[in-house]
Amino acid sequence: MTDTATGILSPYLGELEWAPGCELQFPAGLPGFEDQRRMVPVEIPSQRPLIYLQSAEKAGVCFLALPVLTICPDFDLRLSEEDRSLLEFDQFALADNECPALGTDVLCLALLVPSGPTVKTNLDAPIVINLHNGRGIQAIAPRASAGSYRLNKSGGWEAIC
Amino acid sequence: MLVLRRRVGEAILLGNDIEIEVLEISRSRVKLGLRAPGNVPVIRKETVAVAAENQMASNLMASRGEEGLAGLMQLLHHPTASRGPAAGGPV
Repeated sequence: MTDTATGILSPYLGELEWAPGCELQFPAGLPGFEDQRRMVPVEIPSQRPLIYLQSAEKAGVCFLALPVLTICPDFDLRLSEEDRSLLEFDQFALADNECPALGTDVLCLALLVPSGPTVKTNLDAPIVINLHNGRGIQAIAPRASAGSYRLNKSGGWEAIC
Repeated sequence: MLVLRRRVGEAILLGNDIEIEVLEISRSRVKLGLRAPGNVPVIRKETVAVAAENQMASNLMASRGEEGLAGLMQLLHHPTASRGPAAGGPV
């Protein structure tokens, strides 16, 4: 490990080290994990587009996620005023004044949740990361809108109630 | 459920030390201000279900084990990794 690098021994990913600038900052943590404010995105090239979100503070906390567009190509991100403020979008000029652009301004990830033999995900609660400053939130829609999806046995995603 | 009608600037009290004030009303939304002791958690209702989902999500890898995860990767059409992970790469 270099002098400036930070590291953790993940029970899932082994020994990881990263430069401080690679960390994502979640100022409010995630619901249920409010004390986990620093996360590290880990990509394994052969598993793309899967992304591991490993806590930088607690080795046992690690999430599996996928970019929302790989699950729902029509996904429409909506951020509340509070979400935009937490992401500090008021400090960055956006290509579109109304909404940050997926892939350009924000990375939008869907957390994978166990569901029987497969997984499901709730697109009404995506992880949204401001690519300009590395700040992240979980943007929870007050009402069901994008919905939830389950990975079926053939590897496709189907909407669930 | 108790139903109260309030105007902008009016408030209600829950007990002696929790105050909810109506700050602004628009066509479909209402902005509320809350004053409560620091030890009183204030969260949006929809957050509760997401917290439970997140707990399950954090158990995904532990509950599946290596084989289960390999099967999941297969299902996602992404073969299990043969190389080590790279932290903090481009996302």
